[in-house]
Amino acid sequence: MTTPLISVQDLSVEIKTDRGLLKAIRGVSFDINPGDSIGIVGESGSGKSITLKAILGLLPSNAEISAGKIFIEGVDVTTLSPKKRRALLSENTGMIFQDAIAALNPVIKIGEQIAEVPRYRLGKTKEEAKAIALSLMEKVGITDGESRYDLYPHQLSGGLRQRIAIAIALSGSPKILFCDEPTTALDVTIQAQVLRLLRELRLNSGLGIVFVTHDLAVVNELCDDIRVMYAGRFVESGTVQTTFKEPTHPYTFSLLKAAPDPDQSVHRLFTISGEAPNLTQPVVGCPFAPRCFSASAHCLVSEPELLPIANSKSACFNSADHTKWAAEDSRNGVAR
Amino acid sequence: MKSARTLYIGVGLLGALVLAAIFAPLITAYDPNEQDLMNTLLGPTAQHWLGTDPLGRDVLTRLIFGARVDLAIGLLAVVLPYIIGVSLGLLTGWLGGRTDSIIMRIVDTVIAFPFYVLAIALVFIFGPGIKSIIVAITLVGWVAYCRIVRANVLVAKEQDYIHAARLTGLPASRILRRHMLPNVISQSIVFAMSDIVLSILAIVSLGYLGLGVPVPTAEWGSMIQEGQGYITQQWWLATVPGLMVVYVGFSLSLIGDGLVARLER
Repeated sequence: MTTPLISVQDLSVEIKTDRGLLKAIRGVSFDINPGDSIGIVGESGSGKSITLKAILGLLPSNAEISAGKIFIEGVDVTTLSPKKRRALLSENTGMIFQDAIAALNPVIKIGEQIAEVPRYRLGKTKEEAKAIALSLMEKVGITDGESRYDLYPHQLSGGLRQRIAIAIALSGSPKILFCDEPTTALDVTIQAQVLRLLRELRLNSGLGIVFVTHDLAVVNELCDDIRVMYAGRFVESGTVQTTFKEPTHPYTFSLLKAAPDPDQSVHRLFTISGEAPNLTQPVVGCPFAPRCFSASAHCLVSEPELLPIANSKSACFNSADHTKWAAEDSRNGVAR
Repeated sequence: MKSARTLYIGVGLLGALVLAAIFAPLITAYDPNEQDLMNTLLGPTAQHWLGTDPLGRDVLTRLIFGARVDLAIGLLAVVLPYIIGVSLGLLTGWLGGRTDSIIMRIVDTVIAFPFYVLAIALVFIFGPGIKSIIVAITLVGWVAYCRIVRANVLVAKEQDYIHAARLTGLPASRILRRHMLPNVISQSIVFAMSDIVLSILAIVSLGYLGLGVPVPTAEWGSMIQEGQGYITQQWWLATVPGLMVVYVGFSLSLIGDGLVARLER
């Protein structure tokens, strides 16, 4: 077996808060290889962004990795100095953020920001760096790069800014692009354009993508694999194709059902009752059990592991038992 | 628009004084240090617009030549602490950890001393003169810039654009110089404007206390000190140099206000 490019093993992150120690991530494992496209979905506070931040070494100062390892090219970066870690990361990964205007330096011309890595990390001449920057601008679909080269971020529209941010992330030729909800702040048409761009980059350049979002439709459109996160753990892991058709975890099932369907007119949208557990308290049993339609007595005392079932992996004791699923499906009187 | 006007008026007022100081020998026919003991303590006349001092020197001439000394030292006594304070603030905020604790403890120590006590003590150690005034003000003045810049660096460090720049693997020197510095210095520039006033005030105060520029060099502080004995008859001898300090302070405040509005736009 070959070494995965990035391997996250049993990662746990704790955050110190006023209300006590918050176990934001409680043992997350997954591998990322060049060409992969993994969508990590979950609701706010499920730990999906913290997972990315932990991998990239961007955890806030009150958070720390309490257990687990992160291997990049077989090297455990949790034991490396921040400098070596960043060097290894920057060779292999790029990152785009939710808010492009915050991720671009307000006082530097956009062209210069894209040309920076070729110029100052890869040691190109000024002219070569500019040429690379212009070709990157073309690659991310910015027409007329020459005349836009000298603009500042505030002079651009939201969609263009995110394209610039993508161009910067690509300037070091990464194998994996980490995306932290990069389309959430954009309006729907621009969102579609940016997603199309990311898909083209994936298909044409073999760029691997790890996409964190709460939007299932985006994952469906962009990714091959999906990881569903709940209360700091993966509760379901599989390919997008099977998971969307045959979810194996009740949470995934409910999430899919909660996504509004434009072809159906309904009086009330489906919701999952209850709220996500407070992770400053110890988790007893399955964290989803209080909200789960399929929970049994066993679920309240013991927490299930992520185990293989059919073509996916599911962290549910009752994932093989779908007796209660049909009833849930018809709840709210809405046919699926 | 309004901010632009304050900025221009301030620059205009200060610029006029700077030009007068530079071209002082062309403006006045007198030597600032030439004594004329036959014509002491004259009132304003056509030859001596502001009269003469107890040694018969032309007051207007000494005022203009005094601007040379006070403005030059004032500027230098801000530029040096500015460079030191900004560099250390940038570094300490960026590195954090032990470096940060050590530098900030030094800053706290300097701040804990009253400014004049420390400055006067330093001038006593180094001996009076332009050099020791500048050294004294620099040793005391850098801490304010260090604190301001450090606070801004701590905020900027958690901004996504700095995260993004670090993730792309750019060298730290490049990130600090090109990404961090332009985003963290505006507050310190504005502070520098009011700090020039403070440092000119400090020079004038040290001059008044006899710890400043050695006599007979024309300097506003020593002029006030020399004039204070005549305050009941020739009141302008001490008052006019004081008004010059007010004039400089006023124009620098206008520049500072204009810059705040412009930089925070």
